[in-house]
Amino acid sequence: MLAQLLVSGVAQGALYALVALAMTVIYRATTVINFGHGDLVMAGAFLVYLLVVLAGAPFLLSASLAVVLLFALGVAVYKGLIRPIMAGPHLALAMMAVAVGYALRGLARLVWGREVLPFPKVLPQGTFMVGPVILAPSDLIVTGAVIATVAILAVVFYATPLGKTAQAVFQSERGAALVGINVSAFQSTMWGIGAAMAALGGILIAPVTLLYPDLAAATLIRAFAAMTLGGFGSFLGAAVGGILLGLSELLVGAYISSKLIDITAYLIIIGVLLIRPSGLFGRQTIVRV
Amino acid sequence: MQQGIQTADVNAAPMTRGPSRRIFWTIPLALLGLPFFLNDYTQYVVNLALVYVLVGVGFNIVLGNLGQLAFANAAFYGIGAYATAILMHHYKAPLLLAIGAGSIAGGLAGALVCLPVLRGIRSFYLAIITLAFGELMRWVYVNAESWTLGSMGLHVPRPVLFGWVLATEKQKFYLFIVIVTLLIAATANLLRSRVGRAFMSIRDNEHAAASMGVPTALYMVLAFAWSGFVVGTAGALYAVLVRQVSPEAFNLLELIVHFGIVIVGGLGSIAGSIVGAIALTMAPELLRDLPGYEELLIALMMILVLLFLRGGLVTLLERVTSLFRQIYYRD
Repeated sequence: MLAQLLVSGVAQGALYALVALAMTVIYRATTVINFGHGDLVMAGAFLVYLLVVLAGAPFLLSASLAVVLLFALGVAVYKGLIRPIMAGPHLALAMMAVAVGYALRGLARLVWGREVLPFPKVLPQGTFMVGPVILAPSDLIVTGAVIATVAILAVVFYATPLGKTAQAVFQSERGAALVGINVSAFQSTMWGIGAAMAALGGILIAPVTLLYPDLAAATLIRAFAAMTLGGFGSFLGAAVGGILLGLSELLVGAYISSKLIDITAYLIIIGVLLIRPSGLFGRQTIVRV
Repeated sequence: MQQGIQTADVNAAPMTRGPSRRIFWTIPLALLGLPFFLNDYTQYVVNLALVYVLVGVGFNIVLGNLGQLAFANAAFYGIGAYATAILMHHYKAPLLLAIGAGSIAGGLAGALVCLPVLRGIRSFYLAIITLAFGELMRWVYVNAESWTLGSMGLHVPRPVLFGWVLATEKQKFYLFIVIVTLLIAATANLLRSRVGRAFMSIRDNEHAAASMGVPTALYMVLAFAWSGFVVGTAGALYAVLVRQVSPEAFNLLELIVHFGIVIVGGLGSIAGSIVGAIALTMAPELLRDLPGYEELLIALMMILVLLFLRGGLVTLLERVTSLFRQIYYRD
């Protein structure tokens, strides 16, 4: 029982980790928290739905296309909407992100209406046993995809020139610009990558759950919980936080009450921020006046 | 030099006290005739706009005047609505008592949400923890079934004011306009006072305010509590207006509409909140049969205002007349 819960918890948590990592990429590059990120996740899943179900395209092709399109969308949103107000207050940036997300939701609903859509069964079905644990191939694929993404991110951020650029910009945008780094181009690339990762997250989440209007909100808050738990701005923190959140949701559901599954993420956010706001791997965030 | 400043002050005083004070009773008086031109449905939309006026005015205190990124507004709204609905449904409480309870419940929720602020949580972190609080409240509405009747929602009995049944939308309008006017006048006075200026000093630079001797913690609690009180009242009026309170009415999308009202109307401006509330209540009503257009319209308005019209729609109004200008309130 416990082994089963742990395995399923990790599979679930890997998805949260992926979305949290995508938000961390954007946060690290531009110090903007993307409050519309849940809608980017939804948009990725929805694009695949459109391509597979309505246009009849093969799944892998649709998924790649959705990731590329979301990359372009991320770049466009940054260049057209975020960059012009970057100098403004946090509030305006948060609101712009919310507005972009809301617009995406509106666009989806033009096609969608008010329905809950069953996502096509694109991943292999069925289960098999390893010892006492039931494994689903879809869980393995999802977890594998997340691990691969984390590995690629680690390589990109710690072993390539782009990673050095990222570190420089994260330390000081102005300083980076002075030594000849094109900060704007770097940041728009990071928004693109963040949005593409959100699309990937959506494509992997939607077959497990369903495609429903509240998907965006639920995903956003769980990603926040993962980031808070791991520590804001930390890649390792986002990954570990996501896995821990997935585990705690299943353990709480199994051993305490299934009613509490939905609020595990909220309780983690409130608890962590009140008791240890820097999370597991984050920096000090408290303001003392 | 000293002399010059004093003369300027003497000259400035009548300007701020003149027309801008009178509008608190002239405009509501003029609106009293409005129901004669409306049918039942348009009157309902006007009443809803009045509810959202309070939502905007209350939210603006925390967002525009105190400058804190708090996302718990839909929670204050819901708590006010549920407090009123529970008292009227289960305990058959008189109308004004139930509305007052909604306001106070909202105010207490505001003070509660302020706790993380006192703990030193600001900016995006405050946004996230208040967002979690709001969603947690929605779970409470669903699960505290003996009081809230769960996701089915709570039916509110027909409102009766001193033995006079408020059966039609027009009758509700007169109750609403009195409450909304009183709260707007009170909020405007609060923001004009020493307290309001303390809010804005915290927004502009918290450390500087504290070093000048402003008790920042006290004023933060006060701002959040008053914001919660006003928004809680809006929730109470919503319960009376719609007579059906269910958890879905207070979700994240509702919160985005609240943000839209404040941003589109104008941050830190009471007149702006009113303009925003009218714009965001009327426009979606025209599009309600077309799913998606409502969201697109609200998002588009927010994006355009954020890009091109910092200060919101109210700045357009201010170009025409200085009647609604609030020189103290904005930077």
